[in-house]
Amino acid sequence: MSGTLLLQSSLVGLTNGFVYALIGLGIAVVFRGTRIINAMQGEFSLVGGLFAFLVLERLGLPMFVAFPLGVLVGAGLGFVIERVFVRPARRRGASEESYLLLTLGLAFAISAAVLYFFGRDSIALAGIGGEGSVVFFDAALRVHAIWLIVISCAVMVLLKLFYARTLIGQSIVAASLDEAGAATVGINVPLMHSLTFLLGGLVGGLAGVLVSPMIAVHYEMGLLLTLKGFAAAILGGLANPFGAIVGGITIGLIESLAVLTVSSGYKDVIAMAILIVIMILMPHGMLGYGRRKGG
Amino acid sequence: MPAQRDSALSAPAVSAAFQRWTIVVALVAIWLVVPWFISRTVVDMLVFTGLYTIAGLGVAFLLGQCGIVSLAQSVFYGIGAYSTAYCALQLGWPATAGVALGAGLSAAIAVLVGWPVLRLSGYFLALATLALAIIGHVLFLEWDWLTGGTLGIGGIPPIALSGFELNSPVRFYYFLWPIVALVVWMHYNLLNSRTGFAMRAMRDAPAAALVLGIDTHALKVKMFVLSAVLGSVAGSLFAHYVSFISVDSFGVDRAINFLLIAVLGGAKTIAGPILGALFITVTPHALSRLGDIHALLFAACLILVVIFLPGGFGGALRDLVRRLGRRRRR
Repeated sequence: MSGTLLLQSSLVGLTNGFVYALIGLGIAVVFRGTRIINAMQGEFSLVGGLFAFLVLERLGLPMFVAFPLGVLVGAGLGFVIERVFVRPARRRGASEESYLLLTLGLAFAISAAVLYFFGRDSIALAGIGGEGSVVFFDAALRVHAIWLIVISCAVMVLLKLFYARTLIGQSIVAASLDEAGAATVGINVPLMHSLTFLLGGLVGGLAGVLVSPMIAVHYEMGLLLTLKGFAAAILGGLANPFGAIVGGITIGLIESLAVLTVSSGYKDVIAMAILIVIMILMPHGMLGYGRRKGG
Repeated sequence: MPAQRDSALSAPAVSAAFQRWTIVVALVAIWLVVPWFISRTVVDMLVFTGLYTIAGLGVAFLLGQCGIVSLAQSVFYGIGAYSTAYCALQLGWPATAGVALGAGLSAAIAVLVGWPVLRLSGYFLALATLALAIIGHVLFLEWDWLTGGTLGIGGIPPIALSGFELNSPVRFYYFLWPIVALVVWMHYNLLNSRTGFAMRAMRDAPAAALVLGIDTHALKVKMFVLSAVLGSVAGSLFAHYVSFISVDSFGVDRAINFLLIAVLGGAKTIAGPILGALFITVTPHALSRLGDIHALLFAACLILVVIFLPGGFGGALRDLVRRLGRRRRR
């Protein structure tokens, strides 16, 4: 195995890892605010990426308009889903299984709608910096991938500051830790739940516009992204936003090593096997602390 | 006279037994007569309803009685289908051997995988089973020396009962539905047995069940194995019925459909999965002119049922029957 090949596949793994990390961040955001594992996090990305594509290609608007619009659509979708679906379920006293079935149902619905209206074809989106790439020791890294990594790190830091320093961030955490207590001190708990989903959708939409130029937008992409993002979040520990990045990179690197040494066909088998093993053996993740909530 | 007093005392019991037998006789009559009045296509759909009921009952039992969301049923459905295809085509064994091999293999895999995975619960368990479904699908695709991959395996012979081949939808229909009835009856008995009560205790109050000395983990693994065997048997019968199988039949969407059967039909009622399977089979056919819209409709139904109808169709039907019964008594 040559060094260049190893370096090249590590760079691919690193980039994929940041993709999983962004999805994982979104799952962690929703979990932090509502104690719900959102099985449709990947679908936020599907919708965000698809919308950015439509604005970019069909309307012919430039990238700096299309990408933020895709992100905002993801955020809006998150808000609407909380108001229309999650809130009625909560009012009827939904159990953990019901929330999971509900978000899975939403994931299937969005995937099926994309299939129905846009067909089975994959849609490729232009990246930031076009097709340009940077070369390190004979291994190429796309400019877009560098943007992806920088933006992911920025999102992680901003989320950390948001939860630690802002009133809204702390209110969101308070509302999920103790609903009655939060309501007593004057926090609008239902609003915090909506904002949580809005924030989850925002991170998901951002992941979507950043992912779409790397992997083509496809109606089936959501579920696998969700699972790998979930694996990233669990591996790093759901309670820690920094964890999703560490978890994502670990999974991305293992995956690309597997492609190099076994076969590209087994990539998903290995990622899914890692997910199962982590859940059983490391319930708190690598960086997690305290008891895991929710199973 | 003692005999008269006896019958007078147990009049409600007699009438209940009479009622039950009337229902059984009516169902048998419907089973016998229906294929004469409907087209071949509809009989074909009823066969698929039966196959999906068997596999869906496994998922429904896990969900309704043990509180386990399983998305891994497509894997066992596939194992059953590929085992029987391999036995029939490569080894030349009869169908019973293929069904038994598939069931045994599925049970072994269910124990090996279920033992560690069923330590998880809630979200984590459900997503682990979804991961299993993806692993299974990729392995079916990659092991094309065994499964034929996307090209599939053709020419699987129909089941022959001492020379009588089940090679038409109507024949298979008459063969299949007694099996469905048997499986439903066995589930009914299991539900009302000691194990059934232990399961419900485990679902509703896990801590109390443990205190009462129920080995909840072993019980979950046993139920997972039972569910896997049902999925495998349904898969084997499916392979013999359609004679051609490919990896497309054992993807994640199939696993989702089995879960839909359980949730839409109502996981806590025994008849629910039959309704769910009927819905899953008939709807795509009825909407086939509109393209792939049935997937959207299924997902919408799933969302609506989860929010507004936690008991599913079966639960709604049971409530309706109870309400009518109460009105009649008044």
